[in-house]
Amino acid sequence: MIWLTWRQHRKQVLYTAIGLVALGAVMLPTGLSMHHVFNDSGLAACLSKLGTSQVISGNADTCDDQFGQFSRQFSSMGFLAILFLLLPMLVGVFFGAPLVAREVEQGTHRFVWTQTVSRRRWAVAKFGLIAAVTLVFSTIYSLAMDWWSGPLMANSGRMGPLIFDFEGIAPIGYTLFAVALGIFAGTLWKKVLPAMVATLVGFIVVRVLIETLARPRYMSPLTASLPVDSSNQFNGDSGAWIYGNGVVNGAGKLVLPNSSIGCGSNGNIAVSGAVPDNVDPCGGLVSQGLGPGPFFNSTRYQPAGRFWEFQGIETGIFLALAAILIYFAIRRLSRIG
Amino acid sequence: MNDVGTVLTDTAIETDGLGKRYKRTWALQDCALHLPAGRIAALVGPNGAGKTTLLHMAVGLLRPDAGSVRIFGKDPYSNAEVLAEIGFVAQETPLYRDFTAQELVTLGGKLNRTWDAALARERLSGLGIAPNLPVGKLSGGQRAQVALALALAKRPRLLLLDEPIAALDPLARHEFMQTLMGAVAETGTTVLLSSHMLADLERACDYLILLQTAHVQLSGSVEDLLETHRTLVGPRTDSEQVPGVAEVIRGSHTDRQSTLLVRTNGPITDPAWIEHEVTLEDLVLAYLAKADTRATRTAWDVKA
Amino acid sequence: MIEFVLDGRSRVSTYMQLVLQVKQALRVGLLEPGDQLPRVREVAGSLAINPNTVLKAYRELEIEGLAEGRPGVGTFVTGTLAGSSLTSQAELREDLVAWLLKAEAAGLSPEDITALIDTTMRAVGSGPVRKEAR
Repeated sequence: MIWLTWRQHRKQVLYTAIGLVALGAVMLPTGLSMHHVFNDSGLAACLSKLGTSQVISGNADTCDDQFGQFSRQFSSMGFLAILFLLLPMLVGVFFGAPLVAREVEQGTHRFVWTQTVSRRRWAVAKFGLIAAVTLVFSTIYSLAMDWWSGPLMANSGRMGPLIFDFEGIAPIGYTLFAVALGIFAGTLWKKVLPAMVATLVGFIVVRVLIETLARPRYMSPLTASLPVDSSNQFNGDSGAWIYGNGVVNGAGKLVLPNSSIGCGSNGNIAVSGAVPDNVDPCGGLVSQGLGPGPFFNSTRYQPAGRFWEFQGIETGIFLALAAILIYFAIRRLSRIG
Repeated sequence: MNDVGTVLTDTAIETDGLGKRYKRTWALQDCALHLPAGRIAALVGPNGAGKTTLLHMAVGLLRPDAGSVRIFGKDPYSNAEVLAEIGFVAQETPLYRDFTAQELVTLGGKLNRTWDAALARERLSGLGIAPNLPVGKLSGGQRAQVALALALAKRPRLLLLDEPIAALDPLARHEFMQTLMGAVAETGTTVLLSSHMLADLERACDYLILLQTAHVQLSGSVEDLLETHRTLVGPRTDSEQVPGVAEVIRGSHTDRQSTLLVRTNGPITDPAWIEHEVTLEDLVLAYLAKADTRATRTAWDVKA
Repeated sequence: MIEFVLDGRSRVSTYMQLVLQVKQALRVGLLEPGDQLPRVREVAGSLAINPNTVLKAYRELEIEGLAEGRPGVGTFVTGTLAGSSLTSQAELREDLVAWLLKAEAAGLSPEDITALIDTTMRAVGSGPVRKEAR
């Protein structure tokens, strides 16, 4: 079966390898350039000085200016980043979907399943080998993506939506899931093109659902409450995933959503976010009818330190989905004549 | 089978009430067959009669919805080892089109326990088939020969061929049958091959299975069938009771004369009837007409 | 070694055609005792017919004492078409020609003649009893 699987799919494996090498040829110079500028422009130094604690001094330099400059210089890298996001799906569509679908569409399953190997052994060997190859490829590009995207994500951290998707080991889970989805789609549609379309659509739907509905709930978010008159602020560059922030009054009601206020004792006023024009942030919020004091800047967030736990949970979910799909795919095989 | 000939007494294919359903229609129903080993059997019937369904169940590709099928006593769907004794060529001879003939021989060796690669190579070289050309580039006839050679390399006890020559030109057809008959002469393999045209198989087969509308209409050794059927010509009669006649398969009448194709269960003693032997083609046509379910004139409201 | 041909349109069964061809070959001297008949595999493979048919033909020849199968080697011609010397055949032929002329003169058509011969043979009980072929 090893010989057969290789001989049947060697072209696909070769093209994928070539594609990855081509990708690497683009990633290497751009990645080196980004790392270079990141260190030399002082952005790295600024961020390390800022540190990763959740709460920082109110007048600390948040490196936003330097980062703005950096991202303007590398604004075109966004396209590559989108490509990386699509990679797992492409592998699933072009590698996984034709696996069973082409075999059945061309009728060769009636040839190979009537040699002495049983359908189950054929499936286990073939899917297992493809999974192993997928694992190797996805680990390679996952590591490459981690390295390449480091400078770009240094500001916002790795927990945020979409950014999380190409960090750590998540791409490995997505890719194995995509391939399993392709295989399963092949057992349902038994024709290559519909299976590919179904894989594409299915992958996007599942990813969107998990990212928007499940991921925020993996662990309960933490809440940081800082008094509005404190001299400290929440560190937005700590790499945390911020669900939302706002000003909360003494009764716990959110009175100024998406904003934060710093009414320093030394008269400094720091306001950010969407404070409405008719509200004077430091001119006595109680008197403006916003309810009883004291007032707090409240931020709901997942701390950056939970990154690997979240990666583990998400990858685990996608691997479990992959396993379930493969199980049902093998079961469906027994009904194909 | 050497020149003197040996007879195997076990049953190659045994089915009992075998049936397969797709959604609500039965593609095959109540199929009871008993094919002795050593025969070359023709599975004949119009398209859609259930031939492919029967063959797929015999080779373990499909699971029966009713009844059972046994190949040399074993169930092919649940026992993958039985596949070692069955050589199968599906309709339109599916092969990996980008593999060369040489690679397909290698493939067989990897996926089969008993594999005679030397035999396959010998056959293919004898037929002049290039080993290093992707088989998709071969002619239809050559591809069919490759498929047959691969099936024979398993040294199977049973060969199942689904319409192997339907899409071939007359020369390729003849060459395929030549190869098949030569191989069977050497090995004594039991063969079941299907076709929607009897003419292709008549000289090769000594057993007939006739399928129509998902049912077996007729089955038996050709010798027995020809011995037990006659065409009787005699004076007009509407009676079905003729001494020696078990069943009238088909009758046509003029005002003075009746012509009956009958199955006999004894000698025809009534001198009013002139007996003629039947050909296999006559027989098949008569049984097909009997089972024909096409709309009658009345359905179209056409006056008789 | 002789080579067989088949007449696809003949009403004579395949195995009988093979038997008749061997007998014809014996008659004209193409085959002599000791000659080997073509191997079953060769005949089946070249004519694309069932090997059992060839076996049946060879068995028929064995029964009639014209051939003998040697396991592992082949089937060999053993007999000749004896039973009637050439001289008595010539005599019978002459008689037959005379009778045929008489029958023609009496107004019988070829079909009448064949039918007459058939029914007489059947009645007398000599020769193979054949059902009427179409």
